[in-house]
Amino acid sequence: MSGEAQAPAENGRGRPREGSLVRRLIALAAGWILVALILTGAVLTTFFKQAALSRFQDGVAEIAEGLLAGTTVSADGKVAAPDLIDARSLRTYSGTYWQIAEPTPAGIHPLSRSRSLWDADLDGPPKGLEQAIARLGKPVFYDAVGPDGRPLRAVAIVALLPERTEPLIFMAAQDRTPVDQDARRFATLTWIALLLLGGGLVAAVLLQVRVGLSPLFDLGRAIAQVRQGKAQRLTGVWPREISPLAGELNALLDHNQEVVERQRTHVGNLAHALKTPISVMLAETERHPGELAEVVSRQAAAMRGHVDHHLRRARAAARAQTAGERTLIEPVMDELAVTLERVFQDKGVVIDWRAPEDLWFRGERQDFLEIAGNIMENAGKWCRGRVRADATPSGPGRLTLTVEDDGPGLPADRRDQALKRGARLDESAPGSGLGLSIVDELVRAYGGRLTLGDASMGGLKVVVELPAAET
Amino acid sequence: MRVLLVEDDPDISRQLKQALGDAGYAVDHAADGEEAHYLGENEPYDVVVLDLGLPKIDGVSVLERWRREGKTTPVLILTARAAWSDKVAGFDAGADDYLTKPFHTEELLARLRALLRRAAGHAAPSLSCGGLRLDPRAARASVNGEPLRLTSLEYRLLHYLMMHQGRVISRTELVEHLYDQDFDRDSNTVEVFVGRVRKKIGSDRIETVRGLGYRLVPLEGEAAA
Repeated sequence: MSGEAQAPAENGRGRPREGSLVRRLIALAAGWILVALILTGAVLTTFFKQAALSRFQDGVAEIAEGLLAGTTVSADGKVAAPDLIDARSLRTYSGTYWQIAEPTPAGIHPLSRSRSLWDADLDGPPKGLEQAIARLGKPVFYDAVGPDGRPLRAVAIVALLPERTEPLIFMAAQDRTPVDQDARRFATLTWIALLLLGGGLVAAVLLQVRVGLSPLFDLGRAIAQVRQGKAQRLTGVWPREISPLAGELNALLDHNQEVVERQRTHVGNLAHALKTPISVMLAETERHPGELAEVVSRQAAAMRGHVDHHLRRARAAARAQTAGERTLIEPVMDELAVTLERVFQDKGVVIDWRAPEDLWFRGERQDFLEIAGNIMENAGKWCRGRVRADATPSGPGRLTLTVEDDGPGLPADRRDQALKRGARLDESAPGSGLGLSIVDELVRAYGGRLTLGDASMGGLKVVVELPAAET
Repeated sequence: MRVLLVEDDPDISRQLKQALGDAGYAVDHAADGEEAHYLGENEPYDVVVLDLGLPKIDGVSVLERWRREGKTTPVLILTARAAWSDKVAGFDAGADDYLTKPFHTEELLARLRALLRRAAGHAAPSLSCGGLRLDPRAARASVNGEPLRLTSLEYRLLHYLMMHQGRVISRTELVEHLYDQDFDRDSNTVEVFVGRVRKKIGSDRIETVRGLGYRLVPLEGEAAA
């Protein structure tokens, strides 16, 4: 199940590296911090442990060396330990021990020992005496176990005394538990401190990345505003690293605009260039009726339809690409109403329109003129004298334009037909001809919707939903 | 009837000259903007057929010059430019009608007949109030010589106010003269239209008399002038 659910997410973008930039930066920093802190911790604890042990060993060796220095051998060969070596060695199991022994083939034979040992012996070096004999007079350290079972750090010095031919072994040992405890305590404290340090560093990196990348997030929001029509370009001051990007984006927006303008000019020129010859052909056929004239006339009319349709379509496709344009509706409605009443002057058409003063269309003025102009012209053509047009906001980011007339209306079964391209020009029903199908295409290019219905005053009602720019 | 035909395409010019001649017009032809402007300025034409894409001076500029010079000859624009932005600009410049190419000659002739009929309508005295002038014959209004662009409902409102200058007119009376009997009116209709007309003629010309209605007043400075 989870495999199925993940698959589309992985294939969705088809890019090998996606995910969060923030997460990537933080993961890298956290990884590096973890490695550095673990190394630091290991070095610190090891160093501390060795330093503590070394100081502790020096103390043990001192006891053994005192023993060596103070030991006497009587004439009959008896070995006598010095009277007082270390006060602690007098108390049984005190943790400080010494012993003087002589080597035997089987191991060592103790000659004298501290009172603290009671009746136990100190073990010799576990690896035998060879090392101690080889380094005569020098201490050799090793671990041992005390008479009470506690861990000891022990030292053995093998030395030759002038009164004896055989070497003697001077041994001392001390309970090492305090040293181990110190080392453990130090280690615990060190790791806790490093853990806190690591957490703090990661938090600092997180903050740094968030603050450092915030202009990128701002840029994203600014671009969204352009797309939503709230702004024409990217404005504001950007950090040095981002400002070339913002500049390029603005240049791209300008270029886009320029391309659209150029395309529109080309399209207009082409229209002009083609329409005049078609006019000439049409007029010529009217003057010389006949079979040929009829064919030419029909074909010229078809050419006119194709030219209109495809040129407007190309323009619609070009204009839907542009972002950031917005148009105040009220003045456009006023201009259209004045113009259309002039167009239908003979008929005496009254256009009653309403639009709030702060309603903006998210798109170009030309396009709103084209949409509203064609719908209202259609209404003017079929009305008996009255056209009503209302532009109102409808929901967030949307507006509705409703145009009604008091003409004959359009039966429901012919409404789909009216929006289809290819319906012949100047047919005898409202909504036919190219007018409404062009509007429909343009409205779709803006992501809007055109619906036809019955007007309360009898004729056709055209409702267009369009994107509005927020003020 | 004399008609000035302004068109740079030789084929269309030839066809239209013939068609207009056949229909009984006396036709003068201009092939560029400069010539068109000169002829229109100096000859008393009854109607003008004007192409927009012209050599030397474009059609809209020619039309604007005529209108600035006070020429009121009806002008029909004949152009391939079918976009609404072009149409609006054409009417803005002072056109009386607008026909897009390709066209049927019959339609052009019918429209010219309509233009001439309208121009020959009954003469009626024009109304004035301060710098405001209203010409009921042409259904045109101007303020300080600048033509006003009014919709018919706005024109009706201004017309009624000008016919009853200085008198306070109630909302009910205004709305009754704006709309036919069966028109569905919303409650703030009068406010909407008074607002729009104020925007176009200057806000202090229409006084609001609280609780009673509206009154059109000549501005003092202009009344003296």
